[in-house]
Amino acid sequence: MGQTILYVVISVVICFVYFTAVDHFLMDMQGLDYWYLFRK
Amino acid sequence: MGHVTRKKALSIMALCAMVALLLMPIVISLPALASGGGEAPAAGAPTDAAKKDGEADKKVEKGKDVYYKVEGIVSGAPAPKTTDSVKDYPRYNFESRVLLWFANQQHLYYGSFVLAVPIFCMVIEFMGVVTKDKAMAKKYDQLAYDFIKISLTAYSLTAILGGILIFTFLTLYPAFFGYLSSIFRPVMHIYALTFVAESGTLYIYYYGWDKMKEGFLKWIHLSMSVILNVIGTLLMFLANSWIGFMMSPAGVDEQGRFLGNIWHVIHTALWNPLNVHRILGNMAFGGGVVAAYAAYRFLSAKNDEERAHYDWMGYIAMALGVAFLIPLPFAGYWLMREVYAYRQQMGITLMGGLLAWLFIIQATMIGILFLSSNYYLWQALGRMRGAEKYQRYIKYLVFLLVCGFLVFITPHTIVMSPAELKAMGGQQHPVLGNYGVMSAKNGGINVIITTTVLSFVWYMRGNKVSTVSWSKFGNIFMGVFFGFAYVNIIWLAIYGYYIPANVRVGLSVPQVATTLSCLFFMFALNSFMMKGAKQMGAIEWGKISVRSQYALIMLATAFTWMMGLMGYIRSSVRLFWHVNEIMRDNSPWAYTHTVGFAANMISFNVLFFWVSIMFVFWLGALGAKKAPVEAKVSVPGRAPEPAVGH
Repeated sequence: MGQTILYVVISVVICFVYFTAVDHFLMDMQGLDYWYLFRK
Repeated sequence: MGHVTRKKALSIMALCAMVALLLMPIVISLPALASGGGEAPAAGAPTDAAKKDGEADKKVEKGKDVYYKVEGIVSGAPAPKTTDSVKDYPRYNFESRVLLWFANQQHLYYGSFVLAVPIFCMVIEFMGVVTKDKAMAKKYDQLAYDFIKISLTAYSLTAILGGILIFTFLTLYPAFFGYLSSIFRPVMHIYALTFVAESGTLYIYYYGWDKMKEGFLKWIHLSMSVILNVIGTLLMFLANSWIGFMMSPAGVDEQGRFLGNIWHVIHTALWNPLNVHRILGNMAFGGGVVAAYAAYRFLSAKNDEERAHYDWMGYIAMALGVAFLIPLPFAGYWLMREVYAYRQQMGITLMGGLLAWLFIIQATMIGILFLSSNYYLWQALGRMRGAEKYQRYIKYLVFLLVCGFLVFITPHTIVMSPAELKAMGGQQHPVLGNYGVMSAKNGGINVIITTTVLSFVWYMRGNKVSTVSWSKFGNIFMGVFFGFAYVNIIWLAIYGYYIPANVRVGLSVPQVATTLSCLFFMFALNSFMMKGAKQMGAIEWGKISVRSQYALIMLATAFTWMMGLMGYIRSSVRLFWHVNEIMRDNSPWAYTHTVGFAANMISFNVLFFWVSIMFVFWLGALGAKKAPVEAKVSVPGRAPEPAVGH
């Protein structure tokens, strides 16, 4: 059980970082601000 | 030994001949291309040219390219100004445009089919050559042969329909066709010669199949398929340049006079997006038609062996078709983006104006395509022992697909009578109006595609259990990755509502990247996990529900209908122009048809295509009956499995 939780946590961290990076960098490449709403 | 060497020499000579055929049009056209393809400016010039240089300079008229904005020497006549007369628009007692529509659509259907199938053949033949399993290699080879056999009869029909199309143009739209031919004159013969090269290569490829079935000769044969497909693609690119020119002309001045640079005429703003979109579309369509053929043969099969063969054939064709269907919406999105970039008004006419409702129908068709593909895959799980474990989760995929589908087809505005419009207080529904926007629709289609990828992953691991040491982590990671992908897609769709349009438009890129990440990373991860996996049971080819075969037929019909629809939309966006903003259509039919009429016309084209292709299938079946028994590779007790998994 502990191992499963560890695997889930690692997967969640990797996926969160990956998809946030995808959103940020692909918007940035188009000269757009992904964080527009949060900066306002 | 001497006999083999002679065969090798002959096959190499045939291959060289094909390469020569491929290069011939280019070599012939080099002088024309070098001079820009226009009239030789010095034609008829006196020998003492230097003396009259100044005089000649005065006579040379220059024009400005409407798209590239560069100056060029006027090398052609202006676009004709037509009138509604029998001279410009000779006619029967019928709407000429509808006749042209029919001829064009049928030619396109068959053209797409015969361009797509040889690509499948190439892929399948290659799989047969590289696979180490001899039985599988034979099966792949037989499958590739079956594919090309169908396309051969269709090829003759394509040529006949091409002839009918040209005659229709010449007899009903002579002024327009004359102008278009004058602009593309430098490459018209290249097109014709490329067609000759395509035919020659195809016939040698087909008839040389048995003679070149082993060893080095097989590689030569495979190389021929590569050349065949290069020629086919070149043909399509040239044809695309005509429609690209009609939509977004370049290389001419504002009067439509050719400015001497044929590359500018070919390389218009929409040429490349059209090329990519059409390649993918043709492949998806070709896959659908072959899958329907296999379904038809499956349903009419007399024994288990035939059923197993055609079940497998249907699966391979469907998988290839869907592999190209998945990136198709992204290519379509790029095309639309370029249309907007070229003329914003054109984009608005397409997606927010006159033709917007056709896009709702298109969205419905896309949804049907993906629903049919998923349904087929779920049914296909039934022929695998051990895949039962996934059955109970299918309802969740259905939920995701239906949600994505409903969002995707929700219109932004509704067709209404004035009274209804008044009662609702505007064109947009107070609730639904909020959902029918691109931000939400992008989310909808990406959810649908991601779910299709997930269905494929389940199918690929249906009867297998991973034996790698890290399988537990792999499974958890895969589940979390898909979960996050859904969350990211939906989050971006919602986020789009809260930011300005100029920022929102960029969100589609990470949405697409999320879907593609699932496609590439999860397929790769799954392949690693399934290496040396434990088989729970064999795939029992042929033991699949009849419903699944109807799903394949549905898939093919939806492809055909959607192709007709999208062709109509793309053509209609020019409104009353033959060549956008250059040559006006002054025929009595220069108006946009009603949605109902267009839908009926598309349905008629689809029906005609399917009736005629049934004839082609029947001919294929006739040939199969006469084939020697040994040509058919039997399906052994062990069910055949694609060598590279599923």
